[in-house]
Amino acid sequence: MVAPANISIESLNLMTLVPMLIPIIGALLILVIDLFKSEQDRSLYVMISLLVLGVDFVSLMDAAGVFNKNGTVSGVFDVMLIDGLAILSQFIVVGASMLFIPLALTHKRFHEFSYPEFFALFLFMIAGFQFMVATDNLILIFVGLETASLSLYTLIAMHNRDKSFEAAVKYFTMGALAAGFFSFGSMVFYALTGSVEINKIAEVLSANNYADIGFVLVGVVFLLASFGFKLSMVPFHTWTPDVYEGSSAALAGYMSIVPKIAAFVVAMRIFEFLIHSGVVWLEVVLYIFVVITMTMANVWALVQTDVKRMLAYSSISHAGFVMAAILIGSTQSNSALFLYWVLFSFTNLGSFSMLWISRQKNLPAHQQSDHSYNKFAGMIKTAPVAATIMALFMLSLAGVPPFALFWGKMYMISSAVTGGYTILALIMALNSAIAGYYYLKLIVYMFMKDPIVEDSGHIYSANATLPLKTIIGVAAMGTIFAFVAVNHLLEFITAFVYNSGY
Amino acid sequence: MLDHILSILIFFPALAAMLGFVVHKESMRSYGVAVATIEFMLSLWLWYAFDSTASGMQFMEQIALVPTFGINYIVGVDGISLFIIVLASFFTMIGIASLSSDTKDIKNMIITLLFLQMTMAGVFAALDAIVFYLFWELSLVPMLYIIGAWGGPLRIYASVKFFLYTFAGSLVMLVGMLFMAYFYFQATGEWSFAILDWYRLILPENFQIWLFVAFFMGFAIKVPMFPFHTWLPYAHGQAPTIGSVILAAILLKMGTYAFIRFSLPLFPDASVYFMYPIAVLSIIMIIYTAMVAYAQKDVKQVVAYSSVSHMGVIVLGTFALNVEGISGSIFLMLAHGVVSGALFFLVGVIYDRRHTKYMSEFGGLAHVMPRYATIFGLMLMASVGLPLTINFVGEFLSLLGFYKQSHILTLLAGTAIIVGAIYMLAAYKKMFFGVITKDENRHLKDVNKRELFALIPLVIITVWLGIYPKPVLGTINTSVESVVSLMHEKAQTQEAKMRIPNINEKSDSAKNSQGEAH
Repeated sequence: MVAPANISIESLNLMTLVPMLIPIIGALLILVIDLFKSEQDRSLYVMISLLVLGVDFVSLMDAAGVFNKNGTVSGVFDVMLIDGLAILSQFIVVGASMLFIPLALTHKRFHEFSYPEFFALFLFMIAGFQFMVATDNLILIFVGLETASLSLYTLIAMHNRDKSFEAAVKYFTMGALAAGFFSFGSMVFYALTGSVEINKIAEVLSANNYADIGFVLVGVVFLLASFGFKLSMVPFHTWTPDVYEGSSAALAGYMSIVPKIAAFVVAMRIFEFLIHSGVVWLEVVLYIFVVITMTMANVWALVQTDVKRMLAYSSISHAGFVMAAILIGSTQSNSALFLYWVLFSFTNLGSFSMLWISRQKNLPAHQQSDHSYNKFAGMIKTAPVAATIMALFMLSLAGVPPFALFWGKMYMISSAVTGGYTILALIMALNSAIAGYYYLKLIVYMFMKDPIVEDSGHIYSANATLPLKTIIGVAAMGTIFAFVAVNHLLEFITAFVYNSGY
Repeated sequence: MLDHILSILIFFPALAAMLGFVVHKESMRSYGVAVATIEFMLSLWLWYAFDSTASGMQFMEQIALVPTFGINYIVGVDGISLFIIVLASFFTMIGIASLSSDTKDIKNMIITLLFLQMTMAGVFAALDAIVFYLFWELSLVPMLYIIGAWGGPLRIYASVKFFLYTFAGSLVMLVGMLFMAYFYFQATGEWSFAILDWYRLILPENFQIWLFVAFFMGFAIKVPMFPFHTWLPYAHGQAPTIGSVILAAILLKMGTYAFIRFSLPLFPDASVYFMYPIAVLSIIMIIYTAMVAYAQKDVKQVVAYSSVSHMGVIVLGTFALNVEGISGSIFLMLAHGVVSGALFFLVGVIYDRRHTKYMSEFGGLAHVMPRYATIFGLMLMASVGLPLTINFVGEFLSLLGFYKQSHILTLLAGTAIIVGAIYMLAAYKKMFFGVITKDENRHLKDVNKRELFALIPLVIITVWLGIYPKPVLGTINTSVESVVSLMHEKAQTQEAKMRIPNINEKSDSAKNSQGEAH
């Protein structure tokens, strides 16, 4: 006879669940509204989502306050783990989502935004990502990952174009493979240590002094491959450009930021202790991954003829750049990762939104694809403000000071220098120079070539409405005036990362 | 207001450029000239208020930017940077004034030039490595646009090459800066990018050598030193007149200025270690580009290569590592700015009339355009280094300085002046003397008032500072002496102690003897 479990509610610390429950409730609310009165305008759903995310953001600020006072909090049978990393990454997830969701209010009608399911799925996805980062339990990570990914596949497919289905199916297949790898890797670690919690795994492994190093490596290989897919590391990156091309520009920008920060946090939790315990093999493999991802993605980006595909490769390269933080594994590098990603989300969302507002329904004759380079030829003559803003985002992506991404790049390279990775620092610097070329190519098209079609200024903002312009304005302001905020951001992030022991 | 004069100098043109978007196209040129004149007046005021007897930094300002990581907005001037700032605002002024009103997109051009002026003032005033780097990189963007949008047929290739070359070099330099800050952090426990803080840090020689190389990559591409000079002929060849003028007069000086601001005082031992290799590179640069210049058919390329050649003398003077050489090289920076700037203006004058730069298209121009021929002749003589012109002072001092380090290398460099005379005089002969062979040349108009407005001041400066360089040279000297004595103090190796003269000893002994006399 099993004794009845006797657990006090307080010890469960249910407050740790609040930030995830808010978007879930919001999603259910949207579904309920649809149940009672369907055929509502999309603006209603956008605003409800925005409000829910706003409340979520406030609850995160609350959690940040608790963390500042009491340090790391765990709850629900120690499954939830609210440490600095969890809070910082949730800030990025929710913040970037708040910048993304108003992009649904386009001038042209895209039918996916007329479905309430789109917004419900979107909120479920956010909850998934939040679960994924706020735990060190491999099972919950897996559940969060799958919730988020399945929603995301559907969101992509809802953009009703031939290439969207291709993208969704491709992403789904690759994602399924990654999920398989992840569960297999977790299984190996569970078999080795009898636990699915990362800190317990670390304890057990160091207690027996990595006796079964062979099995550890097998587990690491599978986990690495699965994160390789999620973070689009070369050679697991092949889906990225196609998926970005197939989904709407706004969603592509979103995908280059939010899923990746969640994956980075999980990768940080898992690989950090392995690297610090001297698994040299992992260090070498990560080193190779980082360098190849950065360099190859840059080289491929050079030869793209479509701006969106170029940005897709560029975001792979940026992910490789940031992956270096996990390799270096110091407090400075981990802080640099978050700093970089916050600044990157402004700039990258901004540049994808610029593509989004220039989205046409039908392709003119001189364009092979939605956002081919020659579409932007001579933009300075026809739409000077838009061209300047786009150039601003490109310069920021290239790392030209004083724009946002420069500070992230600088701090990241500095962390490589401090961590003793001199060669890596040089490779990172030179990669930024290579990347300069393809960002410059767009600037050259916009500023130095003559327009192909006269009086074509309106196409660059054909899809623009006030909410979209506001989002771009926010992104542009964030990009220009980053230098004002960097100090506070850095102090905040460093304190959080340091206090969670990374 | 004097407390913030440097910030005003830096950000006034940027603010004016923003407001410039509102100004109507027809009035843009007047607006640009007005703004640039105010900027120039401010820089003259800076010179007036500058205490030329003090050697340290003046008009310092400090605002915290990212204090957690040791990055602060720190600006200040000393005798080394003061005149380059004045020169930059001067060239922006005459550059905008000399724009003809039928330039296409004149509004964009003037806004870009004003932004460029901000970055130029910023680079020379910055005393924090990251702020320096910020303006240094930012200066590429307006120049990219000027070359790429108003340049010749190959303009896109030229502008992208210019940008990428410099950008790649600067990123290596950035890694060097981050290392430097890290060493400072290790030594003191605090992050700092302030150059004056770094001056106090003494590094072991092997660290110095690596860091010197990293910084060198950034600076050498900018100068441009042989063999990194290949972007420059393209940039000059394709750039519009105003672009070439500012590129040659100011932007190239960023590299040589940075050598004096960073490389020498931060890495005295490495500077001595690399003195000969760099001297050899400079001499190759001087002689090789002079010979290339002789082979050109295009007069603008002649001026471009002669400009590279003279940059070699500047670098040589800098790496003399003594007061004469460094003061001479700083003076030569100004002289080179004035003279090559003027020569590019002059090439622009004839290009506006004939839309060609080939020397074979001209001949006998002295009959048709006497005033033009006179000014061109004067500037050309200055460029060759005729005594009593501005270039002579700088070249002489630079070579004199290096003569103390090595006789043979200096003699080799001296031959460059002769080669320079050959190609310049040959070019002059082809263009101005002989009979008029082309009918188009018979009725060319001589320089007009607008062009004279730009050229006459340059002529005056050329002659004035050639005859009486003291007001400028004295101020430069004071600051250079403090740099050299700092280098001597910091030097660790025997070789470096020997190569870098000890100034304090001299002044100490002078003081002692005075004391004894009393």
